[in-house]
Amino acid sequence: MTTSAFGVGIGWRPEIAGYVAGLPGLRFTEVVAESLHTHAPLPDGLAELVGRGVRVIPHGVKLSLGGAEPIRDERAAHLHRCAELLGAPLVSEHIAFVRAGDLEAGHLLPVPRTREALDAIVANVRRAQAALGGVQLALEPIAALFDWPDPELTEGEFLTEILDRTGCALLLDIANVYANARNRGEPPAALLDELPLERIAYVHVAGGVQQGGYYHDTHTDPTPPEVLALVKELCARTVPPALMLERDGDYPPAATLTAELDAIAAAAGWPAIT
Amino acid sequence: MTPPPDLAARQRALVAALVAGGEVPAGFDAAAVRATTAALRRKRAGEVAARWPFLAASYGDAWVPTFAAWAASRPPNGSLRDGWDFALAAGDTLPGLAREELAAREAEYAYDGESAPVPRRRGLLSRLRRR
Repeated sequence: MTTSAFGVGIGWRPEIAGYVAGLPGLRFTEVVAESLHTHAPLPDGLAELVGRGVRVIPHGVKLSLGGAEPIRDERAAHLHRCAELLGAPLVSEHIAFVRAGDLEAGHLLPVPRTREALDAIVANVRRAQAALGGVQLALEPIAALFDWPDPELTEGEFLTEILDRTGCALLLDIANVYANARNRGEPPAALLDELPLERIAYVHVAGGVQQGGYYHDTHTDPTPPEVLALVKELCARTVPPALMLERDGDYPPAATLTAELDAIAAAAGWPAIT
Repeated sequence: MTPPPDLAARQRALVAALVAGGEVPAGFDAAAVRATTAALRRKRAGEVAARWPFLAASYGDAWVPTFAAWAASRPPNGSLRDGWDFALAAGDTLPGLAREELAAREAEYAYDGESAPVPRRRGLLSRLRRR
């Protein structure tokens, strides 16, 4: 068995900082870049992890790479400063837009799978890369309940062309793959056949809930067995450098998080980190 | 024949439908867009509850629907401002605990209702103390 570089991880959030710091086998985590103040020292728990040699990746959520308008360079520069502060060789962001003109969506929104949108994303990614000064950028496809009408490319073609033209790595969110497939009524593993899995920088795993006729990728519910099955399917095809649980609220007791992390490790066939 | 609206205009129309009470643009699955709108309001209610725990708690189980109804045609401004604007809009109906939380925020920040609240003490020492 080829060994994963970093194994199973969990996203660092202030509410669960103590739990994350107490994980004996932890080698990989992520922090929301917009929550860091780069003019001030790192939060205590995070500084301790960096000191222990845990890889901490800044994860941006507000850059709006998929927006028709050019990204603001200071947002990309912030990602760069976060990477320097954390000693991270990589930052990540989404293939999505979060604002349009004067309106903030407060959420990651899908982009149309058209040539026009593809060119806009590539231009924004290149602009971000210029501000990142050699720090690698990994791009994450999102989950959405709807698609734009009249796509010109399949999801696999669209994502692969963005990666090819920008040289970016792929942050594959396996829960997003599951959510989109379930809501479209497609087999969840189908997208895996279309993506360049060898370009995966790391993988997100998260929970969700079926509500009102849709599967919602909430990050506040347990990871369902179907997502764990897709983790297993992915790890049968490739060995991703890390599998990271994203939990963003309604934090359960430590024992529940431990069981979830152990279940992810078991699905991958990797050692537990708890 | 007029050219189709450009990407910027189409993206703005979609965001307006999701957060500002706009019409769902033609061609979209309207039910799925509306379901997204509802999910966004629930998520926003959760984010405001994390930033304004006493405000949210003082409404109990009614918090999410009450906040979601208020937020229906108001685009998000971040959880600090969203909670603040909600509390001000509630006026005399604001429960006691929430009133205390609002007073504490007013002591900490100057907020004109139009732009981001500004911390009242901007010295390095106070910034360090807050961490």
